[in-house]
Amino acid sequence: MRKKAAARFIVLGLAGVLSASMLTGCRFGFASDPDDPNEAKKEEPIDTSVDTYPYDSSLEGTEITLLNSKAEIQVALDKMGAEYEKKSGVHVEVMPVTDGDSPYTKVVSLYNSGNPPTMAILDTTDVVALAGEKALDLSGEPWIGEAPGYVTEIDGKVYSLPLCIEGRGIIYNKSVIEKTLGEAFDPASIQTQEAFAKLLDRLVDAGMEKPVSLAKEDWSLGAHQLQYIYETYDGTSEGAQQVIEEIKDGKLDLETYGRMDQFTDMFDILKQYNVAKGNPLGADYDEMAIDLADGKTAFWFNGNWAWPNIAEAGAESDDPYGFLPYYMNNDENDFANSRIQASPSKQVMVDGQYADAKQQAAAKDFLKWIVYSETGQQMLVKTCNLIPPFQNNPYEPLDPLSRDIYEKMRKDEVFNASAIVPNDHWAVLGAAMQKYLADRSDREELTAAVQDYWAEQE
Amino acid sequence: MKSNKRGKDFCIFALPGMFCFFAVVIVPFIYGVYLTLTDWNGVAKVKNFIGLKNFGGVMKDTQFWTSLLLTFKYVIAVVILVNLIAFIIAYLLTRGIKGQNFFRAGFFTPNLIGGIVLGYIWQFVFSRVFVSVGESTGWNLFGVSWLSDPTKAFIALVAVSVWQLSGYMILIYVAGFMGLSEDVMEAASIDGATGWRKMKSIVMPLMMSSVTICLFLTLSRAFMVYDVNLSLTAGAPYGTTEMAAMHVYEKAFTSRQFGLGQAEALLLFIIVACISGIQVYLTKRKEVEA
Amino acid sequence: MNKTTIGGTKRKAANLLAMAGLVIVFAAYMFPFLMVVINALKQKRDIIKSPFSWLFTIKGLSFDNFVKAFTQMDFLNAFKNSLIVTVSATLLVTLLAAMLAYYIVRHNNGISKITFSLMVASMIIPFQAIMIPLVSIYGGTLNILNHRATLIFMHVGFSMTMSVFMFHGFIKGSVPVALEEAAYIDGCSRTQTFFKIVFPILKPIISTMVILNSLAFWNDFLLPSLVLTDKKLLTLPLSTYSFYGTYSADYGTIMAGLLLCVIPILILYIVLQKQIISGVVAGAVK
Repeated sequence: MRKKAAARFIVLGLAGVLSASMLTGCRFGFASDPDDPNEAKKEEPIDTSVDTYPYDSSLEGTEITLLNSKAEIQVALDKMGAEYEKKSGVHVEVMPVTDGDSPYTKVVSLYNSGNPPTMAILDTTDVVALAGEKALDLSGEPWIGEAPGYVTEIDGKVYSLPLCIEGRGIIYNKSVIEKTLGEAFDPASIQTQEAFAKLLDRLVDAGMEKPVSLAKEDWSLGAHQLQYIYETYDGTSEGAQQVIEEIKDGKLDLETYGRMDQFTDMFDILKQYNVAKGNPLGADYDEMAIDLADGKTAFWFNGNWAWPNIAEAGAESDDPYGFLPYYMNNDENDFANSRIQASPSKQVMVDGQYADAKQQAAAKDFLKWIVYSETGQQMLVKTCNLIPPFQNNPYEPLDPLSRDIYEKMRKDEVFNASAIVPNDHWAVLGAAMQKYLADRSDREELTAAVQDYWAEQE
Repeated sequence: MKSNKRGKDFCIFALPGMFCFFAVVIVPFIYGVYLTLTDWNGVAKVKNFIGLKNFGGVMKDTQFWTSLLLTFKYVIAVVILVNLIAFIIAYLLTRGIKGQNFFRAGFFTPNLIGGIVLGYIWQFVFSRVFVSVGESTGWNLFGVSWLSDPTKAFIALVAVSVWQLSGYMILIYVAGFMGLSEDVMEAASIDGATGWRKMKSIVMPLMMSSVTICLFLTLSRAFMVYDVNLSLTAGAPYGTTEMAAMHVYEKAFTSRQFGLGQAEALLLFIIVACISGIQVYLTKRKEVEA
Repeated sequence: MNKTTIGGTKRKAANLLAMAGLVIVFAAYMFPFLMVVINALKQKRDIIKSPFSWLFTIKGLSFDNFVKAFTQMDFLNAFKNSLIVTVSATLLVTLLAAMLAYYIVRHNNGISKITFSLMVASMIIPFQAIMIPLVSIYGGTLNILNHRATLIFMHVGFSMTMSVFMFHGFIKGSVPVALEEAAYIDGCSRTQTFFKIVFPILKPIISTMVILNSLAFWNDFLLPSLVLTDKKLLTLPLSTYSFYGTYSADYGTIMAGLLLCVIPILILYIVLQKQIISGVVAGAVK
């Protein structure tokens, strides 16, 4: 009995201590580290003094919802919605897609429940799947002209706003490379697989045992890496579509398709210098960010969305990080060896089935506000930390990875090819890639897995 | 008069509960069965009746049968381990050991946390804590993350499930042991029955009703494992730990073959129903009427 | 004489061995919780690089994670929502299930038998199989999603099976018909008899069902995520969503958030602990 009372006391005491400290926000422990990555980040100020956006007062009091499938910008979107409400009187409720749910599942169940979001942030493939049945035709919207090349057309119509550009490639930590090699490093000097491998060898000789971090996650392997075989066909979405159709119809044999072999060559290089080579499937995402920031590795295959992780690992936003291309071969003139893949990955779709005319108008206005208003433009870049696809947005991204993509976009050093693949592509072929990564299958098996996957599609 | 009263009884006592149950479980289930006979993809406005075509698709979905086979292995391992461990611990906790109330409460704690969060915690333990223990001690056992190897990931999945489920079963077995009257145990001791013999010939038959329930609960829960599967391994490495329920979910939502997924879910239900039915029938026969 | 002594030492040794075994198994059981408590107080970097160390490398051990979790979850509001849903659903299901189980035990007719077997069978329906039909009926046709009442109703419906099953066992084994008959002779109606005579006898199994159901409702994630979308209505588990990013999870905040969610239910459990076991003793096994 006494024990029980003691247990009760301990629990209550613990609860009390916790709540007390929560309220005061107290911290204890030894002197806090000045470079403490957990220190609350200073928020980028938004200048709202100038606002020339013509708000439509007839929309006041309208309530619209936005389904957000990008969990990392949830807080930022909330702020954006609040700011827009302040000016326009339209209430934007940002609904999160909760973990354990795919965005598509969430949207489907919301449509089934007759209570779909007025707007939804979705992957391009999801928009394609829903467009005909559910989405509002946005072909007449003015912002289409501001994002040439980045708008997705489905049967000649536009159903979604490209919210941001995301780019991926081999992230490098320039200072670490320079420190290790003892000389200046020019990313542009690396233009072939061979040159890249040579650089890796030099790093190894200089004492960096394994210079590459390679994620084990199926989305990284199955979507971000493997999809290079479609995307580098000619560097356009049409070309990617064409090569997919040809593989599906059996017209193109992957065994003889050059990009397949080139891709595996590059992947083999990354594999060979992988810091987790002993146990590639045990690699930890957060640890990779820390390794890169600490200089245990110099490269990490990932996209600009990885910045928060790298920053959390201690990197500063003026540190020189950037992207190298995913080298496909030794031909310096091949576009794949000098350009970074960057495309609009998240799209905003407006519901055309349940939303009433006023809500649809408010949703369209909110999208316009993001593109045209001074506040919206700033918040998209500074608060959400996204790379805007719109050429009228004068704000530059704040982190080095996004900045690198942004600059490359201006210098025409990117290619924009979105391969529209079935929704389970990353999961099914991600598993095949994991097998290959762990040396449980060989090149032939991997190629066959890709071929088989497409053969099963209708 | 009497039948009128019966009707009233029924309305007051049975109807509200039955209404909730039928409205939330049975009606959607029947509607779900109907959906397996259509080509509905989860979104479209029209649903075309296509008969049993989805069930033909189930036959062709080799991945489903692989995951089902794995589920069988998993269920066997989990059911045996959970019941064995829970039975032994419950036995020890009813022998008047010091602090047994504390232990009983402690063993139940995994049930205080939801499945998805639980899986994340264990994922953290397996991929970070154990690896760091391995690094600092040099133990090969923990040298690499268990979740990166198909066999070890499967073992991890079983271990976590056993950890999670056994607390509940310990509770039921403890209850069973406490229900055994002291007289029976004492009489057995006086008769000179000790240890294993006492257990086998006197305790076991009296404990069969607890065993029936625990087996039924572990069987059905293990067959339906989803939360922990999703958050602990998510099928990794390379899809080798994907159980049936998770496959069904993936089929319906990731591969967007809703009718097929629904049909597989139905088939899974029928299989579990048959197996648990047989189990209950077999163990019930061994119960002694108290 | 000699024999008993040997038996005695043997028994003592066995007890000691059993105790040691128990302690080891118990430690293994508690290990993950220990990890949660330790790491909830650490910074992300330390969590990832040295999850096991604590006292050895105190570097900015802090309650920051708790502060962050508390504010990001909108803890007080989510707590209120969870409390309303859990308490109402638990009260409702306990009452309705007890009455239904009582009816089934005392009226051995066709409806009882069919309902009871349906309930037992439905305990093994995979939730995935009724998920979409469920939202499509309650949202698409009836349009009553996004209300607390709907969630409470669904919680009651889903937990009805297990609850009736447990009450059924208890009533069958531990409620003597003779008592009720005496009440009838005294002129009590069925309803009066149930509430005055039967319900008090059910006390142990009621505590058991209260704790088991509250646990399930408090922690449930999938069902509330389907029913509730309005941010003002989110329950505690739903409100921790933002800690799981698309690409990586914010472990420190997750663990702090988890502790915040668990503490209330832990208190309830410790308070009701003793009754739970006696409830199961008298109920489930009969």
